[in-house]
Amino acid sequence: MNAMITGASGGLGRVLATECADRGYNLFLTDINHDGLSSLKQGLERQFKVCIAAKACDLTKAESVDELMSFIDMHGIRFDMLINVAGIDYEGGFLRIDREKITKIIALNNEATLRITHDILLRRRPGKRFTLIFVSSLASLYPMPLKATYAASKRFLLDFALALRQELKNQDVSVLTLCPGGLVTTKEAMRGISAQGFWGNATTNSLEIVARKTVVYALQGKSIYIPGLLNRILSLLGRILPRSWAASIIYWRWSKAQVKWLR
Amino acid sequence: MKAVVITGASSGIGFEIARLLSKNYFVIGIGRNENNCGRAKELMLSENPGAKIEYFIADLIQQNEVNRVADEIRTYLENNENLELYGLINNAGCVRSWYTTSEEGYEQQFALNHLAGFLLTYRLLPFITKAKGRIIMTGSQSHKGIKIHWNDVMLRKRYNPLTAYKQSKLCNILFAKGLNDRFASLDIRAYVVDPGLVRTDIGNKQTGYLVNLIWSIRKKHGVSPEIPAKTYEFLLGTHPAPKGLYYCSFKEKAYSRQVTSENADKLFLLSEELCGISYNRWDG
Repeated sequence: MNAMITGASGGLGRVLATECADRGYNLFLTDINHDGLSSLKQGLERQFKVCIAAKACDLTKAESVDELMSFIDMHGIRFDMLINVAGIDYEGGFLRIDREKITKIIALNNEATLRITHDILLRRRPGKRFTLIFVSSLASLYPMPLKATYAASKRFLLDFALALRQELKNQDVSVLTLCPGGLVTTKEAMRGISAQGFWGNATTNSLEIVARKTVVYALQGKSIYIPGLLNRILSLLGRILPRSWAASIIYWRWSKAQVKWLR
Repeated sequence: MKAVVITGASSGIGFEIARLLSKNYFVIGIGRNENNCGRAKELMLSENPGAKIEYFIADLIQQNEVNRVADEIRTYLENNENLELYGLINNAGCVRSWYTTSEEGYEQQFALNHLAGFLLTYRLLPFITKAKGRIIMTGSQSHKGIKIHWNDVMLRKRYNPLTAYKQSKLCNILFAKGLNDRFASLDIRAYVVDPGLVRTDIGNKQTGYLVNLIWSIRKKHGVSPEIPAKTYEFLLGTHPAPKGLYYCSFKEKAYSRQVTSENADKLFLLSEELCGISYNRWDG
């Protein structure tokens, strides 16, 4: 099984790559971070007997993705799985963040994801099932003031993925959307979770469990995975509440947390 | 002059060891944060203006940082021929509440508490051998009551932060045993110090709400880190070399029955694979 993982050298990407390598999948890893990719490739090769290819790419640039595809085509690689992890967020209110950072959230989380998904789906191994995984977020479930662009970008992915799943149903493609709560991927993420106190910890998901279940559920053909019982309850509540109410409750909760976190 | 490399030297036990040893040794400290290292050096120099201390910055969780700082220290030693690397104290350690990974994808407690020291020792071994030096690991009583999870050493199947910590501390003793089994004939000795319960910030750095809270309460019952620092000084400075493996407050202490040559060899093999090195072939 050949799997491609974008954003592979980030916290979630690494753990998903490890899960796949442990299952014997050959991996094609990509990320903007070249050094992180080499370290990860080395680490995975030392632990597992699988083939690992790694190539840095800026998914937000069409030329960079074209180069990646040329490399893939030159080596005749065809894929059975694509895990779209690459994504970004910048904390703070809309006007507090630099304009280009705001648009970058959409460029990477949405445009780049569409770009690579389109290209890799055209390079799937013929005659075999293809498994597609999108990493959305719990934040996709309601509008999130102070995280407005990010949450909307994740909502885009969720809606798009669910629709694509129907389009590709008869072509033997399974599409799973992962909607995690907090993930302890970096020091900043840890600080952010602590800043949210009890609720931050309670809605945090364990990377190793999320990674394993994501692959399992994707192979089973499930459509959405929301890790954590509390998160699933919150998502239900979010659906019952009018969206504008959900937005004001979230604003109230986040503004307290962010003051602490961004200090 | 005898030099000692100390990891995790900008705070906690590592800082106190550096402070104590700087009276008689050239101290080479490794820390993650440049400001903290600068402050630590200033503090030591203000107390003892004649102290010889150099800090090198590295995040030892990442193996390429371990290799980089090892190269920098080797260059430093080669440029200062009067220095002999007599001691290496693998003290840097961490606790985590969740499964987190290094850039290589290795679980962070395993990567820092064990692999970093394993790799750094390998890189500096030629110098330590020349000086017939000593290698000391900061261990813990919590190494007891655990076995190495050979089939899942990163604990990905079912992560428990305490199990990860305990396992990494058992690795410290197994590593020391493995070093002694291999290199005693070269007059190198490895030891592990149990510092006891010490008032440091280990449980407060990058941990979750619960671990942070529990550690903040527990550490109030701990001793100041300058107390266990004396045991490291004792192990470095006593001649002939103390014969034991695991020490607490200057005295030998009983350790886990899991510390066998067989387990030590198994850990050596696994760690060599994960670091991409072989102790049998010193290309440095």
